Amino acid sequence: MFCSRKKSLEVERIVKANDREYNEKFLYKDNRIHTSKYSILTFLPINLFEQFQRVANAYFLFLLILQLIPEISSLTWFTTIVPLVLVVTMTAVKDATDDYFRHKSDNQVNNRQSEVLIDSKLQNEKWMNVKVGDIIKLENNQFVAADLLLLSSSEPHGLCYIETAELDGETNLKVRHALSVTSELGADISRLAKFDGIVVCEAPNNKLDKFTGVLSWNGSKHSLNNEKIILRGCVLRNTSWCFGMVIFAGPDTKLMQNSGKTKFKRTSIDRLMNTLVLWIFGFLICLGTILAIGNSIWENQVGDQFRTFLFSNEREKNSVFSGFLTFWSYIIILNTVVPISLYVSVEVIRLGHSYFINWDRKMYYSRKATPAEARTTTLNEELGQIEYVFSDKTGTLTQNIMTFKKCSINGRIYGEVCDDWGQKTDMTKKKETMGFSVSPQADRTFQFFDHHLMESIELGDPKVHEFLRLLALCHTVMSEENSAGELIYQVQSPDEGALVTAAKNLGFIFKSRTPETITIEELGTLVTYQLLAFLDFNNFRKRMSVIVRNPEGQIKLYSKGADTILFERLHPSNEDLLTLTSDHLSEFAGEGLRTLAIAYRDLDDKYFREWHKMLEDANTTTDERDERIAGLYEEIERDLMLLGATAVEDKLQDGVIETVTSLSLANIKIWVLTGDKQETAINIGYACNMLTDDMNDVFIIAGNTATEVREELRKAKENLFGRNRSFSNGHVVFEKKQSLELDSVVEETVTGDYALIINGHSLAYALESDVKNDLLELACMCKTVVCCRVTPLQKAQVVELVKKYRNAVTLAIGDGANDVSMIKSAHIGVGISGQEGLQAVLASDYSFAQFRYLQRLLLVHGRWSYVRMCKFLCYFFYKNFAFTLVHFWFGFFCGFSAQTVYDQWFITLFNIVYTSLPVLAMGIFDQIALDTSYWTVINHVFIWGSIATYFSILFTMHSNDIFGIFPNQFPFVGNARHSLTQKCIWLVILLTTVASVMPVVAFRFLKVDLFPTLSDQIRQWQKAQKKARPLRTRKPQTRRSSSRRSGYAFAHQEGYGELITSGKNMRAKNPPPMSGLEKTLYNSTSWIENLCKKTTDTVSSFSQDKTVKL
Amino acid sequence: MKRKCQDYKSRLPDNTAMKQQQLPAFRLQLSANEILSGFFAIGLFCLGMGIILLLSAKSIREVEINYTEKCATCAKLREDATNFDKECNCSISFYLPQKMEGNVYLYYKLYGFYQNLYRYILSRSNIQLVGTDVKDVRNCAPFKTSDNGLPIAPCGAIANSMFNDTIVLLYNFNSSTHIRVPMVRTETAWWTDKYVKFQNPTFQNLSSAFAGTAKPPNWPKPVYELDEKDPGNNGFVNDDFIVWMRTAAFPNFKKLYRRLHRIGNFTEGLPAGSYSFIINYNFPVGRFQGQKAVVLSTLTWSGGSSLFLALAYLVTGAVTLLASFSMMAVHLKLKERKTFFLQ
Repeated sequence: MFCSRKKSLEVERIVKANDREYNEKFLYKDNRIHTSKYSILTFLPINLFEQFQRVANAYFLFLLILQLIPEISSLTWFTTIVPLVLVVTMTAVKDATDDYFRHKSDNQVNNRQSEVLIDSKLQNEKWMNVKVGDIIKLENNQFVAADLLLLSSSEPHGLCYIETAELDGETNLKVRHALSVTSELGADISRLAKFDGIVVCEAPNNKLDKFTGVLSWNGSKHSLNNEKIILRGCVLRNTSWCFGMVIFAGPDTKLMQNSGKTKFKRTSIDRLMNTLVLWIFGFLICLGTILAIGNSIWENQVGDQFRTFLFSNEREKNSVFSGFLTFWSYIIILNTVVPISLYVSVEVIRLGHSYFINWDRKMYYSRKATPAEARTTTLNEELGQIEYVFSDKTGTLTQNIMTFKKCSINGRIYGEVCDDWGQKTDMTKKKETMGFSVSPQADRTFQFFDHHLMESIELGDPKVHEFLRLLALCHTVMSEENSAGELIYQVQSPDEGALVTAAKNLGFIFKSRTPETITIEELGTLVTYQLLAFLDFNNFRKRMSVIVRNPEGQIKLYSKGADTILFERLHPSNEDLLTLTSDHLSEFAGEGLRTLAIAYRDLDDKYFREWHKMLEDANTTTDERDERIAGLYEEIERDLMLLGATAVEDKLQDGVIETVTSLSLANIKIWVLTGDKQETAINIGYACNMLTDDMNDVFIIAGNTATEVREELRKAKENLFGRNRSFSNGHVVFEKKQSLELDSVVEETVTGDYALIINGHSLAYALESDVKNDLLELACMCKTVVCCRVTPLQKAQVVELVKKYRNAVTLAIGDGANDVSMIKSAHIGVGISGQEGLQAVLASDYSFAQFRYLQRLLLVHGRWSYVRMCKFLCYFFYKNFAFTLVHFWFGFFCGFSAQTVYDQWFITLFNIVYTSLPVLAMGIFDQIALDTSYWTVINHVFIWGSIATYFSILFTMHSNDIFGIFPNQFPFVGNARHSLTQKCIWLVILLTTVASVMPVVAFRFLKVDLFPTLSDQIRQWQKAQKKARPLRTRKPQTRRSSSRRSGYAFAHQEGYGELITSGKNMRAKNPPPMSGLEKTLYNSTSWIENLCKKTTDTVSSFSQDKTVKL
Repeated sequence: MKRKCQDYKSRLPDNTAMKQQQLPAFRLQLSANEILSGFFAIGLFCLGMGIILLLSAKSIREVEINYTEKCATCAKLREDATNFDKECNCSISFYLPQKMEGNVYLYYKLYGFYQNLYRYILSRSNIQLVGTDVKDVRNCAPFKTSDNGLPIAPCGAIANSMFNDTIVLLYNFNSSTHIRVPMVRTETAWWTDKYVKFQNPTFQNLSSAFAGTAKPPNWPKPVYELDEKDPGNNGFVNDDFIVWMRTAAFPNFKKLYRRLHRIGNFTEGLPAGSYSFIINYNFPVGRFQGQKAVVLSTLTWSGGSSLFLALAYLVTGAVTLLASFSMMAVHLKLKERKTFFLQ
């Protein structure tokens, strides 16, 4: 209570470093997280309270209480208490186990060790004991324990690299840098211990890419932004150590704030069942009322006389009161229409279905030995009702592996080998037998094998060499040699990594770099190139170039970039090669590969010198500096000589295309929600056939302001409706947007395939209330929706939006911590297991190793579960109605006295023993949606077994012996014997069977003849289809005529060029003297500033403090 | 490595038919011909069965005489509870036009008597009736104990309301000769009831076995005087008592009272002729506007004279046959159409 009040008050946070006492005043949460719900003491009361909040349980408790009132009791208490206790215990055990595992995982996280600066000493401390204001030391590859303000690091100028995969799914490294004043502290423990800066910053929130605050230290103030913060969940990379001050801890961290609350998920069958139960309950009350009125009348007219006759001394009894009591008595008797065993059976059936999912070999991923797992057992039938699938990209659709697939060098394609998994081993063997040993550093996992390329390299084809040289030179990769002497590349974008690794494997090994040189090993000989200029990438240029001088003194410009851009800048002599390469590029693009064009230019020494002078001039000017530099870049990057093109595959997971195709055939809409860049997302959309070139239109919403977004949405809508309803004027359409309930008629009129692509900032605006419906309407009419650059919370918001306004069943699938909130908010969350992170799996309802298993999960398990559950419910309600309504009928003959026709034991056992198993067997094993049921051995055993059980219990209860022992409980002696020997009993049973079965058989017979069912029609249709033509299969190799998508720098950020040329990120062999630090710092200001500015421009549109005060 | 292999194996789901949902299954898929012939067969069977049942029910001879009105004076007398000790006899004569062959059963029949009321049915003590504890009256409310506090035996509302008319059938051989038709008063109850469910407490003398108990308030005499002539039919094991204690499911019911003892003139059954019932009128039905009747009836293999089952079979058979004809018509017509389309 207190905490929540305090939390609502927290508008800003004040943290003082190394001063626990000071910080304690504010009662900030410590770093302990707990996701568990109960403790040992609170378990029983809370759990019982929760359980009896469920309508069904409360209802049965109420019944039990009614039954304990002797005036009302018409059935003995054991008819209710036995099943109720059973159900409550089962649920409690399940809850307890779940919570136990939560406790376990909490403990595991809370007990992780980190080094904390306490009492001027570094001490190992558990995560949960870390407090706000503490200074902790992180080492390479460690998880960050809390949200930290970076103080200093092992890298120059307080830089550090982090991987944020757990937060946003991006695997490329991000740079964070400390304030220069704090980075001076270095690893000096005594100075760090004396650090007493006070941070005043925003209150805890869930915005991952925003942070504002001020550090006051030594009398001066320094503004803080997101670039100085390392968030919990990140992993430190390529930085041997760093120090940080805890700002937010535990539940206040942005990671935890982003993980939405666990909601109790219910299926639509659950809701249907609840509605049904309510209706039935209403029906029950009606019956009860009728019988109660009947009783009042009967008591008044007949019973009155009977009272004196049958019961002495009860004359005072009022007939209305008697009716009132009768009402409750009948409520008890008739409650068997909704017996508690319904809930038990439903749970058992779902459990059975979950086991089928766990046992399914077709969802078992052998390479990681991961079977599918139904982590929640209560949602199976909902799987058959999915309308929207929200999928993450990285790690879900793709494997997050970039592979160098093909290349076109000087008009010739290399690498035309299949990438079939099955043939992989053969290829490896071939490679070994081929004895290809150009590169000793060759990566064993490298999968590019082409005889011809090897031959060309060995023969010394200059173009091929130049091509590979370019790949080895023109990039922003940093190299590092580990203790084993192996080269480790620190890549900023996985595409680049793939290219440099490819060059390395083909004999052109990038070895090392300094700000002025690049050293590569060309087929065994070390060559050092002088790096003269670095023309960095940006989103507008879509290319990058390096200008190097080779040992022979020639100056060369090497450029790689988007084909469309680069082709405009080619030398006219390249025309023939251009057409050839263009064809190749189209082919690559058609296979869903990410392509880059590669070109070079020989530069004249004098020309370069002039140009370089101009560049330096431009650099020093203050006004229009960027424009001038851009102009100069344009100037030199022309008359390029085309070398060829590369094709990198962002490897899709196996079977993604087939899965996507079959899911869309099943009318399931797939939306891709990714934290990745727009280009990457679109590319993947194309690669898995979600976007195709024959789509009528692809709307891209990428506005930066609310009005822009609104305008773009409006245009897209206009476009959509305009095309389809040429006669309709816009007004009609826009009037409709007032109502959030979408008009299905409008939807029907839209023909053709559309796709919507929207990015994170636009989404932020589009999710505002007044545009929300526009977005939704548009999105729901598009075949494919891709949201890129979205935060975890936005993912959840999108899911919520669809859930809320479309009333559709949603499924979210993802693999990383950034998908957790989406997984939690969707009706069904699916986690991809077998990856490193476990958060998604832990939050999910189902988990398996590969995206493609979704098809089987939804279309087989989901469908079956749904059909089975529906059949089960029909069967169950049927049998219980038939069973119970007899009492209503009998009421008219027994003076409405709540006398049962059956004995109490039969009523108790009817649902639990006699009839439960056959219904269950049908609910678990039934397979086809057709009219005929699936009679397995188990069904037979259960049905005949139930009948046998019925008779054996019947004869036992009606035997002499049991009467001798309990004459009051079992007064049935002789009944069975005498009734079953009557011939007319058997005649009645026979007649009843005939009368019940015949109408159904006749009905179905006529139905098949007159109105064939859907499944009949489908079967016929399938037959016809098979005859007509083989099923159309879409293969990844499907050629697309146009739309080449150059993949350069899809995961690339601007600014790394500067980082390299300035040399600030190079690990200095000899640390610069302290005196020189000031100077270096000053020089470095400009690029850091630029870096900040550009990154924030591309990453987020949120206004940020762009200046770094020094 | 080895361990890894084991682990690998253990996580792979078993390839059993059960786990992979590939259990062999029997699918009931009948052809149109099978269904139609089945329908015809069942229809004919039901029809035949209905006719047989009808004939056998018709062969039953049954005489029912409602004596509520006919014994109006006695009924009036019984209206007043204070006259409980006054005897009232009533004679009803009737003519049997055809003889009743075979076993003849004599029933009494009550109209509007609710033996199926919830609290009425509960009001009995099986422990007492089986003779283990004569004083166990726990469930017998409101007839547990008499006014002076003694436990009632047999206790409870059912026992207390026992039918206590005596019915005697006279055969009027001629206008002056009235032969009392020999009737057996035993073996009217279920064997299990007589020998298992109802037992007298074990005592030398039956009356001493019931010492310390009171008779039910409505009874004129205690339970051990129900049939003083036949000790095997006295006390709790009295057949009339046992028959009454097996409560009827509906408010109108008949209960077996006597069986014809087939000796002398009655070896063949009841000959045609004039008869009269002499009824010792005790059971008051006027209070609840009920009615009383005596029934003489024979039985057949299929039970009593009720036509319900026979008619139900007839209707079902007819409907099934009708349905099969129409189904056949529809099917043939559609078949024609289909072949037409195929051409």
